[in-house]
Amino acid sequence: MTPADITQAIIDLDVDKARLIVEKLIGSGIDPEEILDHGLVPGMKKVGDLFSEKVFYVPEVLLAAEAFYAGFNLVQPLIKKNRPGGRKGKIVMGVVEGDIHDIGKNIVKVVCESSGYEIIDLGKDVPCDKFVSTVIQEKPRILAMSSLMTTTMTGMKRVIDQLEAKGIRETVHVIVGGAPLTDDYARGIGADGYGHDAIQALAVVDKIIRKTHKG
Amino acid sequence: MDSVTKVINKEKNYAVFPLVCADHCAWLCKTPFKEVVQDGEKLAGVIYQAYQEYAYDMVLIFSDPYVEAQALGCAVEFSPRLKLLGPSSRIVETIAPIKSVRAGRAHASCGIDRTHVILRAAEILKKKAPVPVYVSVKGPFSLAAFIATTDHFLKLLIVAEEKARRFIDVALDFQHKYIARLIELGVGIFIGDPMASSSIISPELFRKFAFEPLRMLVKEIKNGRCYAGIHVCGNSLPIMSMLDDVGADILSVEDISPETRTLKMGGVSTSTIYEGDREKIKHEISRAAGNTRLIISTSCDVPAETDPVNVKAMIQFAREIT
Repeated sequence: MTPADITQAIIDLDVDKARLIVEKLIGSGIDPEEILDHGLVPGMKKVGDLFSEKVFYVPEVLLAAEAFYAGFNLVQPLIKKNRPGGRKGKIVMGVVEGDIHDIGKNIVKVVCESSGYEIIDLGKDVPCDKFVSTVIQEKPRILAMSSLMTTTMTGMKRVIDQLEAKGIRETVHVIVGGAPLTDDYARGIGADGYGHDAIQALAVVDKIIRKTHKG
Repeated sequence: MDSVTKVINKEKNYAVFPLVCADHCAWLCKTPFKEVVQDGEKLAGVIYQAYQEYAYDMVLIFSDPYVEAQALGCAVEFSPRLKLLGPSSRIVETIAPIKSVRAGRAHASCGIDRTHVILRAAEILKKKAPVPVYVSVKGPFSLAAFIATTDHFLKLLIVAEEKARRFIDVALDFQHKYIARLIELGVGIFIGDPMASSSIISPELFRKFAFEPLRMLVKEIKNGRCYAGIHVCGNSLPIMSMLDDVGADILSVEDISPETRTLKMGGVSTSTIYEGDREKIKHEISRAAGNTRLIISTSCDVPAETDPVNVKAMIQFAREIT
C-alpha cells in the first residue's frame, strides 16, 4: 500500500477506502508529509483537473472532498507538529450574509487547502462585520467571499467598503466568486480577483501570492 | 391575444419580460419582503404595481425558492432575508435515515404551507392583470435537493441512487397536487430547476434524475391546457437538447444561442441589468434579436435593488425592435 493508492481512492470517490489507507500508512510509519504530498494532494489535484475537463461535476467533487478530508484530518495534526509555518498563506473565506449556499465555497476551500493554504472558514450567512473583524484579527493574505444569489451578492461590496472605512483594505487581497458574478462585477465592486470556478479561484490565489511574495 | 401567447403560437416574433420577481417588486414598492411572501394580497399588490411601472408583456409570481420546501416541512426564516434553515426532518427521517444529515433546526415557521399565498396572488392577478399570469414552481429535482439538503442529496445521486429517487418522488408527488391547483386557476406555470443546471450536475445525472420528472410535469400542465415554461440557471448548454425534448412552451436559459424547437426566453444577462448601462443593455438586446422568435428577458431574476432605469431601458429597447 502506497500514497498513490490514496490518490486513486480519492479519484474513485471512495471515502472509506481513503480513510483506511491513510490510517494504515500512518500506522506503518510512513511520513505524514509524504502521505499528504504524494497521496492526498495529487488526488485533489487530479479531481480539480477532472472538474475543469467537465468529467466531474459538483456531486463528484463533494464526494472527492469528503475522501480527501477523511485522510487529511488524520495527517494534519501530525504535519502541523512537524512542519510549523509550512503553509503557503492564510485565506479567510465565507459565504456572504443572507446566503446559505456553501457548496461552491466548500469546493474552493478543499482545493486551496489541498494546495497548501491555511483556511479560516467562516461558513455561510456571514455578517459583514464578521468578515472585517476576522481580517483584523487573523491578518490573512486573502479574503475570499462567495454568493450564489443575485439578492445577496451586493453584500460583498459592503464588506469591501467597510474594509476601506476601517483603513485596512490595502492589507488584504479580496477575491470573489459565485454563480451570478462576473469579472466585470468583481472589478466594479473593487475586488482584486474573481474565480469562475474553484480551479480558477486557486489560480487567482496563486497569482496573487506569487506577485506579493515577500522574500 | 396577448403578445406572449402570440409569440408562443408563432403569430409574433418578440415579447418582453425581464424576470421581475417578488423581491424586486417589494423593493420597488417599499414593502418589506417578509410581509410580501406571507400574504397573497400583498404579493399580488406589489407584482401588479411593478407591472404598472414597467408595462411588460406578462407577470410572474415568484416569491422565493422555498415555498414548496417549507410546505414539505423545511424550516425557513423570513428575516432579514429569506433563508432555508434546514432540511425537512420528517421526510429525511421517513425516507432515508442517513448519518450525515442533521435534523432540521426547530423553528416557529417550520412546515408552514405558503402555497396558499401563491394561489391567492394568482387568483387576484388573473382577474386584474391584462397580461398572462405565470406562476413559478420548483422542479422536482431541485425541490428534492432542498428537502434533503443540497450537498447530501448531490452525494446520494452517486452513492445511493434509490434514496435520491425517493426524495424526488416525494417532491414530484407534491408538485402534481400543487400544479393541479394552479391549472384550475388557468395560469401559466414556470418550472424552475436551478439544481439541475450543468453548472452543478453532469448531463448524465440530469438525464437519469431530472429529465423525466420535468417532462411529466410539463405534460400535465399542457394536458390542463395551460402554458408551461422551464427555467434553468447557469450553464445549460450541455443539456439543451434534453431541455428542448421536455416539451415546454418556453425555455428560459442563460445562453440563448443554440437552435431549439422550444421558444426561448432570455438575452440580457443578470449582471447587465443590475450593473450595466443603457448602451450595454441595448447591445445585448440587439444581439438577442438575431433569434427568429424570442421572449426578451433577463437570464435570471432581476436583483432586488436593480435601478428601475435599467429595467425601463431594457423594455424600451426591446419594444424598439419589436
